[in-house]
Amino acid sequence: MKPSTVWAPRILSVLRIVVGLVLLQYGLAKLLGWPAVEIFKDLTWLSLFSIAGIFELVGGTLLILGLFTRPVAFILSGEMAAAYFIEHFPNSFFPILNEGDLAVSLCFTFLYLSFAGGGPWSLDAIIDKQG
Amino acid sequence: MNPNSLSTIRAPRAFSVLSVLRIFAGLELLQHGTGKILGFPMVPGFAHVHIGSLAGMGGLIELIGGILFTIGLLTRPVAFILSGFTAAAYFMAHASRGFYPVLNGGELAALYCFVFLYFTFAGAGPWSVDALMGRK
Repeated sequence: MKPSTVWAPRILSVLRIVVGLVLLQYGLAKLLGWPAVEIFKDLTWLSLFSIAGIFELVGGTLLILGLFTRPVAFILSGEMAAAYFIEHFPNSFFPILNEGDLAVSLCFTFLYLSFAGGGPWSLDAIIDKQG
Repeated sequence: MNPNSLSTIRAPRAFSVLSVLRIFAGLELLQHGTGKILGFPMVPGFAHVHIGSLAGMGGLIELIGGILFTIGLLTRPVAFILSGFTAAAYFMAHASRGFYPVLNGGELAALYCFVFLYFTFAGAGPWSVDALMGRK
């Protein structure tokens, strides 16, 4: 099936910006302490959480801008899969019980973005036009 | 269009992955519906949900919408309704608890609102009942 050719790619860009923002707040909360989240308060530098925070800060920013969307989304999809299996999966099989809903949802959304790209409203699209 | 460009959709593989995303989003929604209506999986927070209550009505939408979305039947109208449903859930249940989704617990609702919005425009992809029936 063909997606509607004009608006589907534009909404893809909107989706990319929203997931970028969702991810970015985790990076900001973990590394810069804003917004202040209780469980991220006393992270040590280069702990597993802080390294994830670096992925989320840099990856989230690049996704919002739509720069290098495919490789960035691919890496983030792997990061979310790792987060799901390390942090959530041991607690329960069902995402609704192990609180890994968001990680697994983001994992598949990023996987799709790594195939579909960033859409027309992105720096990638601007670079394409000039190149 | 340049096949190596950074921004265009790479058919047909991208469309298959679109269906994969749809199926997992549908299952994700479905477990909220079954948790509230059928009591499986057992979620402590959903233990006393009545069908007539707001949470119960939400559960019905999640149950029926989750099934239709997972199999990919009537994907566009279903996705449109679910997008509005998750937007309502975000503003009714979460927005009042704080501006940032990371603090008000509404990230999943916000994320799915836009995922469903995208499927309203993009359709179900090749692995769906809609595609089998030749529906666009």
